[in-house]
Amino acid sequence: MMLRLALRTDSPPGLLGRLGATAGALLAAGVVTLLGGLLFMAPTMAEIVLLFGINAILVIGFQVFVGNTGIVSFGHVAFMAVGAYAGGIAAMPVLDKEITLPDLPGPLAGFAVGFVPALLIGGGAAALLALLTGPALMRLSGAAASIATLGLLIIVSNVLAQATPLTRGPQSLFSVPENTTFAGVYISLAAMVALSAWFKWSGAGLRARAVRDQPAAAEAAGVSVLRARLWAFVLSAFITGVAGALYAQLLTAFSPGSFYIPQLVLVVAMAIVGGIGGISGALLGTAVVTVLNELLRRVESGVSVAGVDVHAPSGISFAALGVALILMLRWRPAGLLGAAEVQFEARPPVPADDGPARPAGAVPPVTTGRSPAEG
Amino acid sequence: MTAFVQHVLDALSVGSTYALLALGLTLVFSVMNLINFAYGLLLVWAGYAACVLVDAGLPFALVVPLCVLFVTALSMAMGRVAFRPFIGAPPITLLITSFGVLLIIQYVAILIFGEKPRVLNAPDFLTGVIAAGGLRVPVLQVVTIASGAVVVAAFYGLLHRTPFGAQLRAAAESPRTARLMGIRPDRVLMIAFAISGAIAGIVGLLWFTKVGAVTPRSDMEPTLKAFIAIVLGGLGRTSGAMLGGLALGGIEVAMNVVLPSGAITYAQAIVFAVVIALLVLRPGGLSGARTEAA
Repeated sequence: MMLRLALRTDSPPGLLGRLGATAGALLAAGVVTLLGGLLFMAPTMAEIVLLFGINAILVIGFQVFVGNTGIVSFGHVAFMAVGAYAGGIAAMPVLDKEITLPDLPGPLAGFAVGFVPALLIGGGAAALLALLTGPALMRLSGAAASIATLGLLIIVSNVLAQATPLTRGPQSLFSVPENTTFAGVYISLAAMVALSAWFKWSGAGLRARAVRDQPAAAEAAGVSVLRARLWAFVLSAFITGVAGALYAQLLTAFSPGSFYIPQLVLVVAMAIVGGIGGISGALLGTAVVTVLNELLRRVESGVSVAGVDVHAPSGISFAALGVALILMLRWRPAGLLGAAEVQFEARPPVPADDGPARPAGAVPPVTTGRSPAEG
Repeated sequence: MTAFVQHVLDALSVGSTYALLALGLTLVFSVMNLINFAYGLLLVWAGYAACVLVDAGLPFALVVPLCVLFVTALSMAMGRVAFRPFIGAPPITLLITSFGVLLIIQYVAILIFGEKPRVLNAPDFLTGVIAAGGLRVPVLQVVTIASGAVVVAAFYGLLHRTPFGAQLRAAAESPRTARLMGIRPDRVLMIAFAISGAIAGIVGLLWFTKVGAVTPRSDMEPTLKAFIAIVLGGLGRTSGAMLGGLALGGIEVAMNVVLPSGAITYAQAIVFAVVIALLVLRPGGLSGARTEAA
């Protein structure tokens, strides 16, 4: 047996291949973590590195749904919002709750949880919302589905802004404990990457992509279109909700306005630039757009800008995102990486008798084969 | 009784605004499957053009045609530069391209006019109210309903009585056959963007006369209403777009009347929930079959 690293789009065979694919995605996350860790040392970069990690989780969550089902969702920011509010309120100390949210219903007011349970509560609340709305939304296809998910975002935003006892309404919710650390973000990133890679090559993931590529054939083969999309939707909502809970515990104060169109633009741009087909692409896209954004922000304001929200509506960076989007779609519509994934391949040293022979030693370690069907 | 007539007039005027919005949006969709996120910005630019021209002292009778011309030209420029290279691309690519276009054109508006709202000084006769019997009808409402009727009539005349219209319908129905018959897809696209822009110019004037001020970010609301209207009515059908627009106007006004005061703050959420529920029952929209639209 020998292990080899490859960039490929096709599905790996068997359990071993699935493990290799998951390990490859984890390696990509590891590289990102290493680079983030190096930058984290620099004094002004801390918040940017943390926000980058959170955005990466957000884009992974978005990718799990959009990449596997082919439906562009404009509703994922709603899951982020739900995750942030659920996780933020769960983590808030009981004494602070009495001051910030005096009208909170009894059972919610009486408890406070630590960092990790708060993440799970955030993710769980978002997944629950997806599970409840999915059976309706996932019936729609194409543009109608995209617009219906946009409707979900508007509904959630409207409810968060009006449910004053729970959320302080349109005012910002504050005194969420600042629990999010470098380790917290990047361990979550690794966990979410592993989860989405495992899903991608699972039966559920394959069924979702079968429905994406050949809906009629998939249905004829006994795949339920609704259920295939629903699992991708719920998992992606969970991941997005975790990102929201991390975000809440990083910023400590936020309002429903923090989770609206500008945040949506950012997530869509990151996912499209990297390549909506894969996890590796999501990580790369997040990195590229973050760097681009930061450079432009520096150009814009001249000097150091620590402490500024990534989603602050500053002009030039958004216009540049627009240009980047159009250029990408024009000349590289599948994104930088397309559907290619970093994978570990475990192949016996002597090529087995299945398929065309690919002598292990003669193949370069990294291949960039890209099948036209993907992406 | 008068209250009921008042509500019906409200619903008609809101509905005809939405119907026009949806008509302009669906026209381009039927030709190239593009759902244009930047559509609302055409309205914003119509509003800004009106502000500038009115402030420059031009009579309103001249402002209206100039604004419509300007937005028509802007729409065609947008189609030519940003969307024509994407003819034949998958709908998702087009949707996200329009997202990019939105970001760029919005930035230009921010650069020129700033983030602050700019007041549109509409002439006095438009802001008046006609009192007849127990009814008090704003003039703008009458103008809105009348413009809706006129634009729809003109649109159908254009679509069914002119060669442009025939080409448009052919390209929408069967792009391949239309091409084989010598209809150039890029030309058809430009016609669609021109008509769509003219409609956006008219709706923009009506919209911002009602709202009273323009900001670079006023585009999202009209865009969303148009999106909901076309999906509600059935994607890609002009009759569906108008039906969807009128239905959305009706639902909104009905919600404002029916909902108890405690729930009124959730009106927007409830409207969207109703629309999604309608879509689940009829994925092809109100005008479509019970099966899923392509």
